[in-house]
Amino acid sequence: MPDKIGPNDFSYPGLGEIIFMRTEKFIQSVMNWGRSHSLWPLTFGTKCCAMEMIPFGATKIDADRTGTLFVGDSPRQADLVLCSGTISKKMARRLLNAYEQMPSPKYVIAVGACNISGGLFHDSYNSIEGIDRIMPVDVYIPGCPPRPEMFMDSVLVLQKLIKENKIKRYQDGIFRHDKG
Amino acid sequence: MESSDTIKGRFPTLLSDVPSTNKNETVILLNDKSKLKTVVGEIKNHFDILFMLMVVDKPPKVFEMNYVFTNYSKNDILTLRVNIDRNKPSVDSISNLLGSADWEEREVYDMFGISFKGHKDLRRILLPEDWPGRPLRKDFQVTDEVRNWTGLDLKF
Repeated sequence: MPDKIGPNDFSYPGLGEIIFMRTEKFIQSVMNWGRSHSLWPLTFGTKCCAMEMIPFGATKIDADRTGTLFVGDSPRQADLVLCSGTISKKMARRLLNAYEQMPSPKYVIAVGACNISGGLFHDSYNSIEGIDRIMPVDVYIPGCPPRPEMFMDSVLVLQKLIKENKIKRYQDGIFRHDKG
Repeated sequence: MESSDTIKGRFPTLLSDVPSTNKNETVILLNDKSKLKTVVGEIKNHFDILFMLMVVDKPPKVFEMNYVFTNYSKNDILTLRVNIDRNKPSVDSISNLLGSADWEEREVYDMFGISFKGHKDLRRILLPEDWPGRPLRKDFQVTDEVRNWTGLDLKF
């Protein structure tokens, strides 16, 4: 047994390590499956896209089928931000404040043209041109405003991304915000 | 009209007439801005509310302030016009005479940078406190610095 392990000394993982890695991966996938089917949204609606958010939760489209429950707008219990409308520079701090209060596996959906790129107010002195400037966004819903069916589609896409472990905030296995 | 005429008769040297297109509206120009509180105190006896405070930026010299008063019973509109210096913009606050002037003056301060002497709570009302510049001035440019300003300490 050498004192120091050099860069060329490669050792194959033992049976215990393999079992540990496989188990970790299995637990991860089970947890992601669970998370993807119980998304509790923080409905951060600031403008007319929020009107389309209402039929998304109502009977015809019915967000509850995917486990997306509108249980109340508290960031402490939510793990998904449904962010819509123009975010002004004053509102950006409130949005980020709400986002930072949410518990850790958290996902963001940007709704509508104003939210994605500034939209109608893209050259204003007081609007954020796309909330991906201030927080990591997973799914974008284009439209002005988007149809409620597109909300349903975006949630299905987000579920797929969570199951495949492709969420933007948790890429490379570490929290992007925690890099410093 | 009669309440406007009363006020014009009260201060014949301070106020001068400006032609108006609206027949219900009387526009008067106040020559001395330091007498604003005296005149508004008199206007308050005849008019109910200040329902608008407009500012027109006329570079390079003048901010033109328009105080618009109205009363409910007579359908009378009075616009009091005050010209103030653009380089040292400051004027007396009338918020302790008329409560509705409070937020109007804060908005004017926010957008044009006119300071009101005697205002109790002169903060910005719409924009963040540390926002650079006064956006409704004519010489304000939307540069990349303004466009990309978030005021946030972002990590990612």
